[in-house]
Amino acid sequence: MPITPDCRILIVGAGLAGYHTARGLRAHGHTGSITVIGEESRPAYDRPALSKAYLTGAVSEEDLHLDDPENPLDVTWVSGRGVVGLSQSPLGVETNDGGFHEADAVVITTGASACTLPPAESDSGSYVRPYVLRSMEDALALRDANLYGADVVVVGGGFLALEAAATCIGRGAESVTVAAGEELPGAKRLGRPVGQAIRIAHEARGIQFAPPGRAMGLRSSYSGETVRHEVVLEGGQQLEAHVVICAIGAKPRTEWLRDSGVPLTADTSAILCDDTGATSVPGVYAAGDCAQWASHSSGLRPVGHWQEAVEEAGVIAATLTGANPVSLQEPYFWSDQFDLRIQGAGRIHSADQHEVLEGTPEEGNLLVRYLRDGQETGILGINRLRDVKCWRKRRQIRSTPAQQTSAPSTGQIPTLSR
Amino acid sequence: MRIDSVNPPIAVFLTDEGDVHAIDDTCTHQDASLAAGWVEDCRVECPLHESTFSLLTGEVDQPPAKRGVRVHEVELEGDDVLVELSDKAPQLPPGVTL
Repeated sequence: MPITPDCRILIVGAGLAGYHTARGLRAHGHTGSITVIGEESRPAYDRPALSKAYLTGAVSEEDLHLDDPENPLDVTWVSGRGVVGLSQSPLGVETNDGGFHEADAVVITTGASACTLPPAESDSGSYVRPYVLRSMEDALALRDANLYGADVVVVGGGFLALEAAATCIGRGAESVTVAAGEELPGAKRLGRPVGQAIRIAHEARGIQFAPPGRAMGLRSSYSGETVRHEVVLEGGQQLEAHVVICAIGAKPRTEWLRDSGVPLTADTSAILCDDTGATSVPGVYAAGDCAQWASHSSGLRPVGHWQEAVEEAGVIAATLTGANPVSLQEPYFWSDQFDLRIQGAGRIHSADQHEVLEGTPEEGNLLVRYLRDGQETGILGINRLRDVKCWRKRRQIRSTPAQQTSAPSTGQIPTLSR
Repeated sequence: MRIDSVNPPIAVFLTDEGDVHAIDDTCTHQDASLAAGWVEDCRVECPLHESTFSLLTGEVDQPPAKRGVRVHEVELEGDDVLVELSDKAPQLPPGVTL
């Protein structure tokens, strides 16, 4: 569908992917109206700090705003409105106040919502929703919780869970226990040395790890004003806690598209797109955590990273404006836990082998490379900022041929072997 | 290279072209040392994300950083690099204080 510079573009979702789509459209010279519908009433914000510096109070809500107040984007923000349906003809989106927002192109960036633990099967006890970390509201609730002297259980073994656990120690918790599926968190995905490094760093700060196993449910009981929770693990073991934080993944916010004709994946209900972000419905695109592009479907790329949302938004902005096509770069993620800054790049998720190049788990300075069929496909560094950046830059795909000085698409790719 | 005997620390770069530049070392988005970044075309790219800063003016080109860094005047005397620190206020990332 030809999109002209003056057409109306509607972005559904005011998170990272939505903001960067709008920004990219303006940067490419789109002059028509851009409307961004956001469910929350706050200005668009960046999420990574919500499980880190925001919880400790080091950064404020204003610090996390995506738009620059000194140089704001020329877009219409429609805040505090949920979306209830998408119409193909006329193309547009219906909001929960009964409004209909017609557009020439719709970019869906509704993100994902946090999964939570179900009530445990039992004949006694009640259920109190655990803390989760997805929105500013979620993080605010946890930030306002009094952790002093509390027994905290963090359910989940991913970076979000580990980051949240790390912040609880400095807030005076009596005990912090991580209930993860693996003995060494992340070992299955990132290799045993990385899992060891993470566990060693957390244990050194007093964080405990429950025996590995799936958390099955949560039950709560009141004794006067005090509420106690029990996290029930696979096999029946129970962890008692005053505060339970649940970080066990997220699912795409696509329930509002169920009858829209926009195809969703059968397993996760993510929006199916090609690698330009286009769905099979003309004029409808999707990016970020709500979307699954062809490269994700085929296992070439991991889903759900911050960087993925930014780059997909850039691809869609280029597609819609007819600018030079933009390529997705090597996948990238990072995490800050205590004094560990973990950065991973490349196709780590599909590697069949890993190799420690430098450092040890104990010293918190690992550099690990990942291989598939003997070819280097990824790198992970702990406090190795320069190494990881160099690896990414050497493999960067440049957008214009004139600038193509490195990252050959064929032939010998520089590696970090030494 | 990062010089942390001053506060905030500064980063001194020797580019492929043989020029020496000095700017504040801390990215204005998040606490990360620009000295560990990638230098190309007289700009340094933060090692954490994709914001790049001009080594000549300190301005930033794209998010996540919103503010530029200070540039410090550099003079070469033989093998010595003399840096005259800027008297402007530094733009430190949220959560980082002097």
